[in-house]
Amino acid sequence: MSGERERLPSTEVNVLKGHEGAVLAARFNGNGEYCLSCGKDRTIRLWNPHRGIHIKTYKSHGREVRDVHVTQDNSKLCSCGGDRQVFYWDVATGKVIRKFRGHDSEVNSVKFNEYSTVVVSAGYDQSLRAWDCRSHSTEPIQIINTFSDSVMSVSLTKTEIIAGSVDGTVRTFDIRMGRETSDQLGQPVNCISLSNDGNCLLASCLDSTLRLLDRGTGELLQEYKGHTCKSFKMDCCLTNSDAHVIGGSEDGYIYFWDLVDASVVSKFRAHSSVVTSVSYHPKDSCMVTASVDGTIRVWKS
Amino acid sequence: MDGDDEDMVFYGTRIQAEDDVSSRKKKSVAEAAGQLRTLPSWKQEVRDEEGRRRFHGAFTGGYSAGYYNSVGSKEGWTPSTFTSSRKNRAELKQQSIANFLDEDEKTEMEDRSLGTSMQFDTFGFTAVELAKKQADKEHQQRPSAIPGPVPDEMVAPVTESIGVKLLLKMGWRRGRSIKESQTTSLYDKRREARKAFLALAPDAKEQTGGPDLEDEDVADGHTINVDQSTKTTPVYVLNPKQDLHGLGYDPYKHAPEFREKKRLRVSDNNEKGRRKPLSFQDSLFGFKSGRVAPGFGIGALEELDVEDVDVYAPGYDFEETYQIEDIEDPSGPGPGNVKMLDNKQHGILLGFKAASVADYQLERFNPPLIPKDFTLHHKFSAPLEIGYKVCEVPPPEVPPPEDNNLKVLIEGVATLVARCGILFEDLSREKNRSNPLFAFLSGGNGHEFYKRKLWEERQKHNDKTKQQSDSKVSQSAQKMTAESRGRILGEKPLERSSRDLTPPIPSVSSADTANLQFDLSNTFTQPASQSQLPEVAKPFLHDPAKQERFEQFLKEKYRGGLRVIDAGEASKMSEAARARERLEFESTAEVIAKGNSGKESKTPSLLLADVLASSGLQFTASIEKSKGTNDGVQPEANMYPRREEYQWRPSPLLCKRFDLIDPFMGKPPPAPRPRNKMESFMFMPDSSKSAKVGESLNMDKDLLFTDQPSKERAMEPTEDLIEVAEVENVERPVDLYKAIFSDDSDEEGESTNPSQVDDPERKIEAANTTLSRLIAGDFLESLGKELGLEVPPDLPYSESKASVPNAQKQSSDAKGERDGLQPCGQSSNSAAVGGISADNESSHDVKEVDRQKNSELLPANATIKKDGGESEKPKKDGTSKRVYQHGTSSSSEGDSSRKHRRHIQRSRSIVNETSSSSDDYEDRHRSRSKKKDKGSSRDGGSRSGSKHHRRHKHKHKRKESPSGSRHGSERERKERREAKKEGHKYSARG
Repeated sequence: MSGERERLPSTEVNVLKGHEGAVLAARFNGNGEYCLSCGKDRTIRLWNPHRGIHIKTYKSHGREVRDVHVTQDNSKLCSCGGDRQVFYWDVATGKVIRKFRGHDSEVNSVKFNEYSTVVVSAGYDQSLRAWDCRSHSTEPIQIINTFSDSVMSVSLTKTEIIAGSVDGTVRTFDIRMGRETSDQLGQPVNCISLSNDGNCLLASCLDSTLRLLDRGTGELLQEYKGHTCKSFKMDCCLTNSDAHVIGGSEDGYIYFWDLVDASVVSKFRAHSSVVTSVSYHPKDSCMVTASVDGTIRVWKS
Repeated sequence: MDGDDEDMVFYGTRIQAEDDVSSRKKKSVAEAAGQLRTLPSWKQEVRDEEGRRRFHGAFTGGYSAGYYNSVGSKEGWTPSTFTSSRKNRAELKQQSIANFLDEDEKTEMEDRSLGTSMQFDTFGFTAVELAKKQADKEHQQRPSAIPGPVPDEMVAPVTESIGVKLLLKMGWRRGRSIKESQTTSLYDKRREARKAFLALAPDAKEQTGGPDLEDEDVADGHTINVDQSTKTTPVYVLNPKQDLHGLGYDPYKHAPEFREKKRLRVSDNNEKGRRKPLSFQDSLFGFKSGRVAPGFGIGALEELDVEDVDVYAPGYDFEETYQIEDIEDPSGPGPGNVKMLDNKQHGILLGFKAASVADYQLERFNPPLIPKDFTLHHKFSAPLEIGYKVCEVPPPEVPPPEDNNLKVLIEGVATLVARCGILFEDLSREKNRSNPLFAFLSGGNGHEFYKRKLWEERQKHNDKTKQQSDSKVSQSAQKMTAESRGRILGEKPLERSSRDLTPPIPSVSSADTANLQFDLSNTFTQPASQSQLPEVAKPFLHDPAKQERFEQFLKEKYRGGLRVIDAGEASKMSEAARARERLEFESTAEVIAKGNSGKESKTPSLLLADVLASSGLQFTASIEKSKGTNDGVQPEANMYPRREEYQWRPSPLLCKRFDLIDPFMGKPPPAPRPRNKMESFMFMPDSSKSAKVGESLNMDKDLLFTDQPSKERAMEPTEDLIEVAEVENVERPVDLYKAIFSDDSDEEGESTNPSQVDDPERKIEAANTTLSRLIAGDFLESLGKELGLEVPPDLPYSESKASVPNAQKQSSDAKGERDGLQPCGQSSNSAAVGGISADNESSHDVKEVDRQKNSELLPANATIKKDGGESEKPKKDGTSKRVYQHGTSSSSEGDSSRKHRRHIQRSRSIVNETSSSSDDYEDRHRSRSKKKDKGSSRDGGSRSGSKHHRRHKHKHKRKESPSGSRHGSERERKERREAKKEGHKYSARG
C-alpha cells in the first residue's frame, strides 16, 4: 500500500462480539488473515476478522489474558496474563503445550522471536524473561531485570529485544552486540511499536503523548498529542507505509496522526469505552481495534 | 422306674420338679436378700434368676463370681488409657501431675489450691443454691401445696445476680439494652433542639399544639429504644413457619445469601415498593468486593486480589452505597414478625395502654422579649482590648530610676502585671502597702517609669498572644504600612513615602519600634538569609529550572522538618543526578551564607564562582555536564530522551535461539555494573588486577586439571614460582592460599562455566588478593628465616633468578649432585662417601624439603598427595624412592633459597632427563632457565614421574653415552649407585 496517499481504514466492516468483559488485546496474525484477541474473561479467541467469524476459543488461563502472539507459521500461540504464567499453545488443538512459570507478578506482554524458538515476556515484576520453546526446560533462558518498574511492552527484531517500562525507559538489548541501550523518556512507557522499516520506535507514554524515537541515535523525532492516555495500557501502531501513526484513546476515539508533522489527520469514535488495542494489517489497509466495551471492530478503508 | 431307667436312653437333662426349682429359687432369693449383703464382696457368688451358679468353663474362670474374680469392673480388665499404637501412633497425652497422684493426694492438692469461696457470687449460682436450700427447709416445715414429692427441677427458686438486681434498681428492664442511656441522651438532645426550634418560632407553636409534638417525640423515642434493645439483647421472636420444609431444616444454612433473597422476595410480595430489590448477583458477590468485573468471577479457591477489581468500570457505583444502607442485620427479625414489632413500636409495654390524657405536661415559657432598639451586631471584646492598647497614647519615656534594684523590681513587676492582668497589680499593691520599695505602684518613686515599663510589656505581651493565636497577619502589622515598618527598622524611606506618611507615624512610636525589633529578632532570624537571597545571588542564572530548584531547596532547608519529595522537574531526574545537585546546592548555600556573614566586598556571586571553582571538580563538572545535556537536546531544560549504553551479556542459549553468534563467546564474564558509587570506589583499583588474576587462575587450573602437566608442576615448583613472581606478584599467594583453603572441585565448576554469578566472588578474590599477598610475603619470609636463608623482596628475587650465570649454575648443579649422592649412598649402606656431618645435613634437609614441598608444591594439590604417598609409603620400586631422595637431598647445600630451590628442580629434571638424550637435556635446561617458558617445561615433564623413574631404572645402562665430562662423572656415580641399589634390591628379594 504505497500509493500516493494512503487511505485510512475508517469504515467499520465487522464487529466481533463474543468476549465477556473487556478485550485487552487484539492482534493480526502474520499474514493478516486471522486475528487473535484476549480479554478479561480469561479466554483467547481466534477470529476471521474479514468475515466476522469466531473460529476458536482458547481457555486455560486462570485470570485475565493480557497479551497474545502467534508464530509466523500460525502453528503456536503464546499468551500471558494475570496468572503470572506464559502459556504456549498449539493453535490447532487448542491445548496448552507448556506453561512457563517464573514471573513474580502479572505478565504484561509476550512475543515470539523470528524463529518462534523463544518467547520473551515482560512482567510487572520489572523483568523480561526469555523462555525456550525448544527444550523442555522450565527455567527461563535469561532474565533481564535492569528495569526499575513494571515492563509494559516488548518487541523483538531479529537481533534485538526492545521493551518499554513504566520507569520511563525504552531499553534495547542487542544480542549481537551484547549491548543494552536505554532511552530515558521521562514518562511511563505504555506500549512500544516498531516502524516497519525498523528505524523508528513509537512509544506510547502515559502523559497522553506518543513519542517517535530514532532507534539509531535515540533522538526524539516527533511527539503526537491529542488523545487521552493516562491510566490504561493502550496500544499504538504505525500504518504499513509508516506514513501515519495510530493510537487509541481512553474516550473510545481512534486517532490518526501524520508521521512527519504530527497533525491529527483523522479521528473518529470507534468504541464506547477505552480502546485497549490497535493492530494494523501487515499488508492491507485494515485495522482491528479492541475495547473495554467487549467488542473488537474491524476497520477498512 | 429303675428298670425303665436302664432300658431307656436319656438325652439332655431331666426337667426338674417344680418344687425343686422353687425351693432353689427361694434359697437364692434368701441369699440375695441376706447373705449377699453380709458377705464380703469377694465371697459373693453370682447366680442367675433360677439361682444357679454360672459356670464359665475351666479356662474362663470356673464359676462366675461376678466381676470379683476378674477385675473390679463390669467390662473386665480393659485399661481405659490403652489405645492401639498402630493406628494413632504418636499421640502424646498431656500429662499433668494429677495423673500421678493418688486419690488422697489429689484431695490434699485441692485443699491447697485456690478457688472461689461460697460467698463469691458473680452469676448468682450460689444464691440459687442457697435459695434452694432455704426452700427445702421451708418445705420440710410446712406442708406443700402440691401433694407428694415435687421434683426439684420443676420448682426451682429463682434468684438474680447482683448485677441484674442493681440494673433493675437503676431502672433497667429485661429485654432492653444497657446502652439505652446513650440513646435516651441522644433523644434528649434531639428534643432539646426541637424545643429550641419551637421557641424561636413562636407562631408555629401557636398553631400546633405542644402536647401533640410531645407525643410524637415520645413515640419516636420509644421506637428508638425498642429498636436499640432488639439489636443488643436477644428477644425471642417467634417465627411462624411458612415454608414446607421439615422442622429444624434450614435450606439456607450454608448459603445465607439466598435466605436474604428469599426474604426479600417475600417482603416484596407483602409490601410493594418498601424496599428496592437487591440484585441477586450483588448479594452473592457483594460481600467479597465491590467492583469485580461483570460476567465472570474468579475461582472458588482463589482470593480476590487487587488486580481482580475491574479497572475499566466507571468510577462511581451508586448501587453499592444504596445497598449498604439497605442491608439489615441478618440476625434481626424476619419479615413475619414485623407486625409484632409494630405492636411494640407504639412504645407501650405489653399489658399497658396509652393513657388518653397525659398528666404530665411540659411547662413552656415565652422567649424573652427583644428590645426594640436592639441591633443584631456583636462586638467582640478581645480585639477591642488589643486595639485599645495599641491605640493608647503611650506614657512618655522616662529615664529609669537611679536605684538599680528598684529598676529591676519595677521591670519584673511590670512584666508580671502585663502577663497576669491588672489584678496582680492591685494585689501586690495591697500586699506591699507598707513596703517602701513598692511605692512606685501607688504613685511614689519610679511610678512614671513603672507606667512606661508596664505599657511596653503589655505591648509585647499582646503581640505575642496575637502570634500565638495563629493570626498570621498580626494586627500591628496590618496597621503598619511597609513604609512605617521600614522606618522602624531604620531603613531610609523613599522621598515620596515619607511625605505621605505623616499621619500614621505618631502611632508607630518608639515603643513600637522596640516591639517590632524584638519580635523581628525573635521570629525572623532564620529566614533572614533567605530573604536576602534574591538580591544576593542567582548562582544558576544560566539554568532557570535549576535556579528554581535551588530556591526551592533553600526554602526547604530553612523550613526544617520532613521534606516533601521534590515535585516536578526534580522528580524526573535520576537518583544520582539529584544527589549530585543536592550536594551542589548545599555548598552553594553555604557559600552564600558565608558571603553574607562575612560582609565581604566581593559580590557573593563572584565569591560563589570562586568557591565553586576551588571546591573541587565535582561541582563544576556536574554543572557543565548538565549544561551540556540541556543544550544538546532541547533548549527548554528538557533532558529527555536521554540515551545510555551498557554492556549486556545475552546468554549463549539465547544467542543460539536467535541464530546469532554470541558476542561474548569465550570471554570472561563482564564486570557487573557497579550498583553504586561506593562499590566502584572500593573495587576500582583492584579490578584490573583481578581480571589478570582471574585469567591466570584459570590457566593455572587448566594446568592442574590436565593430568600430566600437573605432574610437571609438581616436579618444577621453583620454575612455576619464578614465573608467577614475574607475571604478577599477587598471584603466588592467591595460588597458595586458594590451594590450601579452597576446594578444587568447586573451582573447577566455576572455572568451566564462568557466569555472572561468579562475579561477586571474583571481586572478593581481588579484594583478598592484596591482603593475602601481604600475608604470604610474611609467610615466605618466616620460612626463609627458619631455613636460615635470606629472602630478598620479590622484585630483586626474580631478577636475581634471571641473572644467575649459567656456568655458576652448572657448577652448583654439579656440586649439588655430588652432594646429593651421599645420602643415597648412606641409605643404601654402601661405603660411606660423605661424613657424619653430611649425614646430619641430609636428614635435616629431607625434613626441610618436605616442608618446602608442603609450602610450595601445594598448589598442585593432587600431585602433592602423590608425592607424599611416594615418599611415605615404602615403594616396591626402590629406585624411585632413592632417586627421589637423591633429588631432595641434593638441596642440602646452597647459599640462598633461590639456588636451593633451583637445585631441587635441576636435580629432578636431571633425573627426568636422563631418559631422554643428555644433549637435549642441556639445551633445554638452559633455555628454560633463560626463557622461563611454561610450554617447554610442560613438554619436558609430560610423562608421569613414576614412569620416569621406572624407565630410568631400566634404560639407564642402555642409555649410557658419553656426553659432557660433568655428566660423565655423574653418570658413573649414578651407575655405581644404581648397581648397588639393584644389588640391594635383589638381595632384598632373594
